[in-house]
Amino acid sequence: MNTQPPRWADRLLEWFCAPHLLEEVQGDLYERYMRDVRRLGAPKANQQYSLNVLRFLRPFALKRKPNPNSQPECRTTPLFRAAMLENYLKIAFRNLTRNKAYSAINIIGLSIGLAAAMLIMLYTKDEVSYDRFHANNPLIYRITSQNITPAGVPDHKQPYTGLFPGPKFHAGVPEIKAFVRYRENHRDMKQGNEVNSQSVYFADTSFFSVFTFPLLSGNPKTALQNPHSVVISEEIAEKNFGTTNAVGKTLFFKEDDKFEPHTVTAVAKKCPQNSSIKFDVLMPMLVKPEEMANNENWFSVFMNTFVVLSPNANLNAVEAKMNQVYLADAQEAIKLITKKFGNQDLTQYALQPFTDMHLSQELPASNGLVDESNPTFSYILSGIALFILLIACINFVNLTVARSLKRAKEIGVRKVVGGARVQLIIQFLGESFILCFAAFALALILIELALPTFNQLANKALALSYLFDTQLVIGYVALFIVTSLLSGFYPALILSGYNPVQTLYSRFNLSGKNYLQKSLVVLQFSLASFLIIASLTIYSQFNYLTSKDLGYDDKNLVIVDKSNLTRSEAKLLKEELQKDQNIVDVAPKNGGTWGTVAKINGDTQLSFIYETVNETYLPLFKIPIVQGRNFSKNFPSDSTHSVLVNETFVKKAGWKNPVGQVVDFWLDSTKYNVIGVVKDYHFMALNREIGPQLFTMKPKNQYGKAFIKIRPNTETASLQSIENVFKKLFPLTPYSYQFMDQENIKRYESEAKWKQMVLFGAILTIFISCIGLFGLATLSAERRTKEIGIRKVLGASVTGIVQLLSTDFLKLVSLSFIFAFPAAWYAMSKWLENYPYRINISVWIFLITAFISISIAFLTVSWQSLRAAMINPVRSLRSE
Amino acid sequence: MKRTYLGEFEEIVLLTVAVLNDAAYGVAITDELDRQTGRSVSISAVHAALHRLEEKGMLSSHMGEATAERGGRRKRLFTVTALGSRALHDIRAMRDQLWNSISPNALPAISI
Repeated sequence: MNTQPPRWADRLLEWFCAPHLLEEVQGDLYERYMRDVRRLGAPKANQQYSLNVLRFLRPFALKRKPNPNSQPECRTTPLFRAAMLENYLKIAFRNLTRNKAYSAINIIGLSIGLAAAMLIMLYTKDEVSYDRFHANNPLIYRITSQNITPAGVPDHKQPYTGLFPGPKFHAGVPEIKAFVRYRENHRDMKQGNEVNSQSVYFADTSFFSVFTFPLLSGNPKTALQNPHSVVISEEIAEKNFGTTNAVGKTLFFKEDDKFEPHTVTAVAKKCPQNSSIKFDVLMPMLVKPEEMANNENWFSVFMNTFVVLSPNANLNAVEAKMNQVYLADAQEAIKLITKKFGNQDLTQYALQPFTDMHLSQELPASNGLVDESNPTFSYILSGIALFILLIACINFVNLTVARSLKRAKEIGVRKVVGGARVQLIIQFLGESFILCFAAFALALILIELALPTFNQLANKALALSYLFDTQLVIGYVALFIVTSLLSGFYPALILSGYNPVQTLYSRFNLSGKNYLQKSLVVLQFSLASFLIIASLTIYSQFNYLTSKDLGYDDKNLVIVDKSNLTRSEAKLLKEELQKDQNIVDVAPKNGGTWGTVAKINGDTQLSFIYETVNETYLPLFKIPIVQGRNFSKNFPSDSTHSVLVNETFVKKAGWKNPVGQVVDFWLDSTKYNVIGVVKDYHFMALNREIGPQLFTMKPKNQYGKAFIKIRPNTETASLQSIENVFKKLFPLTPYSYQFMDQENIKRYESEAKWKQMVLFGAILTIFISCIGLFGLATLSAERRTKEIGIRKVLGASVTGIVQLLSTDFLKLVSLSFIFAFPAAWYAMSKWLENYPYRINISVWIFLITAFISISIAFLTVSWQSLRAAMINPVRSLRSE
Repeated sequence: MKRTYLGEFEEIVLLTVAVLNDAAYGVAITDELDRQTGRSVSISAVHAALHRLEEKGMLSSHMGEATAERGGRRKRLFTVTALGSRALHDIRAMRDQLWNSISPNALPAISI
């Protein structure tokens, strides 16, 4: 009878069964199978066989190699026994205290790395949690708009909307359950005799039902109903009334040149740190009925509108309905405008999730919303933190492996008396956990110390108490475990693999050229060099931005704000100020940046920035006029019919003879003649290219600020007399001043922050890399004590020995440049592309980096080398 | 009394090995168990018990001869070690002692 059991079952058995058991097991199963075939027949026997095979899926039979060394009783020895555990702890503690330098290097390095990583986690957690605390959270959207030219070309999207979209879409789209419009403005607020300029936010009555901002007192439903009501934050209440119990009290705000009383209807809790909406004073948004009747209001966009959708709304459907409502409602206005001005852009409305605003580059949280943030910042910070942590772990790995020679005997003895490899691995991993734990505790202290500086740099108000957030705690524990494993696993694996016979005979040496240790050192210094280059480049670019000639003189120039400064007030201010001989001249200008569109050459449209000035403005700023002439008192028609333009304007307009050309302002019946061309100067920050600019003296436009040129080195006296004059002339206007050159530097605050962050990162990485190198150099010098002794006896000089010990490390550091330089060059070129006015990355930056890295590394290494070289050979050679 | 713990099934397998003397291997033990106790046990269970007993040092084993019906595979033959024998004796002694300590009328009669 030639019957075979089912092949699949046989295969299965061969696959899972431990090889040393396979023969007997398979033999028994065959024997049983043969019997079954005789008794029950082949089909039943096949079935039985498969069943029996499956029954062998038991732990004892599964693939495992028997350990030939271990005695039967050893196999059941538990990994941890109380006595051994005590021994492990004792040995770990002794090792850590005996090698204080080594432990310190590891703990300091790791704690800096952990602290950096934890801080960044805190930062990113805060960044991504923005605006998520509202009860309506996933249903809140912001309406965005986008112009579509008559040719159908979409312009860039903007997060602004006008008066209409909110109420009209609310009425016309059933899915929109509520809307709230929100805008920022400034109001002069009077308290006693003191007048302050105060940021005031205007919102619709629905504000507190759309957003979740808890009130200390007052009714959220009715707080914003009365036109003369005001909601204030607890801080403002405390400041103005000395109590947060301020409901019913009165604050005065300037409206149309009169101070109007407003009754406090609610006091709100301080807005959360991670909120894009942060208000101190909130007032009801007043829209006059005639404004809502004017259909042209579809075309001005200037504020944020938020809507709450019903839970099952389809976003695309809602957007389509919104645009239908717009087209139907604005039809008349579109026709009218098209008739008046030719083709007109259409608007396309869309929705942006409320929580996306904070990190959005395309549609940022602006226009009264605060803290818009660049996600790149988070990435770069995380990158740096990761660098630092990685370098600290590399130190740990390198030092532990290098130092392990000293522990080779211990490992040998443990193995000889029966320690299994797993036990050794667990012992060494345990030691790395203990070290990490110490580092972790130290990191918490470091964070507490570093938080104020970090908050300032990152523009945050983070606190250590944030650490008790569950997600973060889980994150930190994970970080701790990963760091411990990352730094401990490889050394544990290496150490536990030592051959006990070799180690006990003292014939043991780390085999091979130790490429891993070398490449890790190269990696460390590549990262450090990268960051040095980055900080040098950012530094030079910052320097360039803040010291570049802007095309005008911004020194000794005081800016004083005065909204609605009339022509006569400006004249009076100038006359009064010039009584002080320290004050050279005064020139008024409109406040803020105004832009508009005009027709040139018949009907070409050009958009530009325009400034309302008088004839003193350009001379005061020392801005040259390259063609034509400045405004002049000798030409009375200048104020009504003349403009000056800059060189870019001329270029964009394509004029050969600019003087005498005509500019036809949009929505203005007057035509203006160009009387002169102003040399291009940087009126915007240097991360923008110079655009077309126009100067007018149009009497209808109001001034908003005055520039006061003072004599050098008379700041204190001049500022005093400016303040006196201002307070005398305008007692009801809040007084504040800035220096023009300081304001210009403030434009680069973000660059300044980057500069500091990256510099910190670079310093930390180089520091941690160097302490690692220091540790390695120490160990290498110790290991070679005898060699150095012999060399000295044979006549080697101290310099020769220092050279011998240092060159190896310096070679590695030099090698790291090969990786760091191209990467840094590429990354920094990319970064510089954001700036129209930028430095070229010069060779110097790389040379300086190389010099810094090598000299720091050399100092680190030579310290130990020198010590080793100076030792009296008699001492090093005496033993053995 | 401190001793290595022996499960009831392990004890029976150990006894069966002793019963079979020189011919104790997987299938034979399974069959013998079936015959003597009426328990139908799976081969894998017997193997597992044998493995455990060997780990505990109660059994020792060597590879025996191959037969045709096993597809040319050898048997692993088990013998009881001194430790195993000692354990069995201990168990028996303990049982005997317990039996002897039972007063004549303490157990309910099971005869009809």
